[in-house]
Amino acid sequence: MSNNVWKLLRRNISVSQIVGYAIANLVGLSIIIAAVQFYGDTSEAISGEDSFLSKDYVIISKKVSALNTMGAGGDTSFSPDEIKDIERQSWTRRVGQFTGADFSVMAAIEMGGRRMSTYLFFEAIPDQFLDINPRDWSFDPANPVIPVIMSKDYLTLYNFGFATTRNMPQLSEGLIGTVPMTMTLSGNGLHETLPARIVGFSSRLNTIAVPQSFLDWANERYAAPGDRRNPSRLIIEANTAGDPAIAKYIKRHGYEIAGDKADNSKAAYFLRVVTTIVLTVGIIISLLAFFILMLSIYLLLQKNKQKLHDLMLLGYSPGQVARPYYLLIGAVNAGVLVLSLTAALTAASWWSPRLADIGMASSGPWAAICAGVVIVALLTCANALAIRRIVHRNFYAS
Amino acid sequence: MMMPTTNSRTNKTLTMKRIETIKLDNVLPRVFAGSEHDSPVRDSQVWLHSLTLRRDAGAYLVEAESGTGKSSLCSFVYGNRRDYTGRIFFDDRDLASLSVGEWCEIRRRHIALLPQEMRLFPELTALENIQIKNRLTDACSEAEIRRRLEALEIGHKADAPAGLLSIGQQQRVAIVRALCQPFDFLILDEPVSHLDRRNNLIVAAIIAQAAREAQAAVITTSVGNPLLLSDIDTAPAINTIKL
Repeated sequence: MSNNVWKLLRRNISVSQIVGYAIANLVGLSIIIAAVQFYGDTSEAISGEDSFLSKDYVIISKKVSALNTMGAGGDTSFSPDEIKDIERQSWTRRVGQFTGADFSVMAAIEMGGRRMSTYLFFEAIPDQFLDINPRDWSFDPANPVIPVIMSKDYLTLYNFGFATTRNMPQLSEGLIGTVPMTMTLSGNGLHETLPARIVGFSSRLNTIAVPQSFLDWANERYAAPGDRRNPSRLIIEANTAGDPAIAKYIKRHGYEIAGDKADNSKAAYFLRVVTTIVLTVGIIISLLAFFILMLSIYLLLQKNKQKLHDLMLLGYSPGQVARPYYLLIGAVNAGVLVLSLTAALTAASWWSPRLADIGMASSGPWAAICAGVVIVALLTCANALAIRRIVHRNFYAS
Repeated sequence: MMMPTTNSRTNKTLTMKRIETIKLDNVLPRVFAGSEHDSPVRDSQVWLHSLTLRRDAGAYLVEAESGTGKSSLCSFVYGNRRDYTGRIFFDDRDLASLSVGEWCEIRRRHIALLPQEMRLFPELTALENIQIKNRLTDACSEAEIRRRLEALEIGHKADAPAGLLSIGQQQRVAIVRALCQPFDFLILDEPVSHLDRRNNLIVAAIIAQAAREAQAAVITTSVGNPLLLSDIDTAPAINTIKL
């Protein structure tokens, strides 16, 4: 029997308008869901602890000019005031100082019966700024073994620059850890040799790093009193990758950024901007589609105005006469949701192995599915409210 | 009178006490504002008067000329229009205070209306037009509906689209539809304007019987072709009111 109500009210439904809406919203929604999915997949890389577009770590130093070389220029170390100023910036999360060794270091390794020794330097940064987390990263004065983290670049230089031309063996990261090494530390009237071990390679730190606890101990022991210096390099953890404010600040103060971190963070920033643009386009298309549907519903109800009114004169409640339209909108929107989720997740399944190739793990489809469901629910509610309002307006003839 | 709110989303019927009186207090259609001292308002026994219609009073025959506001009166009492001044009460409940949900309930259980223009849906058959009301109230079986159509000599048109029926046939379909519900008052706006005397008498008999069974009052309007309630065997008491 209720078919009779439907039979009455389906008159004037414009299939072409509904299909037009469905297609437009399908496109808009697919773009939105795909953008959310893409954002989720890549933000792993943008904000993840351990990836190439990682949270922004910037290592800065002061520019070295000819005057510095001549010994006549200003100090290239950072004063406590300068460090405080950096800490105050809104983009700064933490600032770490590179502590230098204020004594001399001679490293020696025994390799293939040949003994090689070289002068060396040490630096230390607080542990939370390290991009790797090696075992044995600690120092015990009672049983002194010095753990060392080297820049990956140094190993590359050795393996492909030095070793190949000098008929020396190439070394893997794992093998290096087993090479026996000693460090001779001298200063403050002392001259001592301690065993050392390379425990890891960092791509973030462009230095030879030892634990902060070791360097504090060694500086205390080997550095002449009054020989302590301000740090000449700082490591900054920024809140957002590639914040252009950082580059501006550094330029204004005449500092320098070490390594290619700045380029990576520019890539991350660019990725965010592009994703946001795509998302905005999707939202605009969906909004336009939404207005098409609203217009279509408005026309439909306007054409069926008399029937709606007459049904309510018979005792039908506004809810009852609106129900067929709710169902229509619900069915169309549910269809659009399913199709757009399918389209977006199909696209995601195309790009995720490609992202996986460069080390970005998929974030899973749930954020995108939630976004789609929420948007469609909001659109449906807005549609339903509009229908309800128009139907109620037709309850009284005047 | 207690009027619990009905949930307008559901078909659920809530019990509401029967409406005993319809009271008009100083009512005037807005369209007559400013002509209170001219005809037709001046000669009316309804507009700007105090008038009480009682459920147990039998039948009211509202006699009017064209343009005196007879259909407006029906619309006001049925909650379809609100463009009047003064107040109308169901017992002690002001109509202006009724919610949409309460009006739905009243239209299903308490006040039945046959509009002058019938308001059948032309794309539905005669039977479907009646059933679309009956499914709300569940008042009659299909057999009963068909029997009434037979009695009104349009049984053979039950499955024809209402849009293809003559005005007189449509009028009888609309009468059957109006009776498909319980009611305290049955309002018939010119119910027999397109019927001959013989059909008029058949309609009168059916309506008188339905009203008697429902213990309800009939309010019928006419502009010269009244429902012949007085000419049937078991005639109800008839109160004539000049609009």
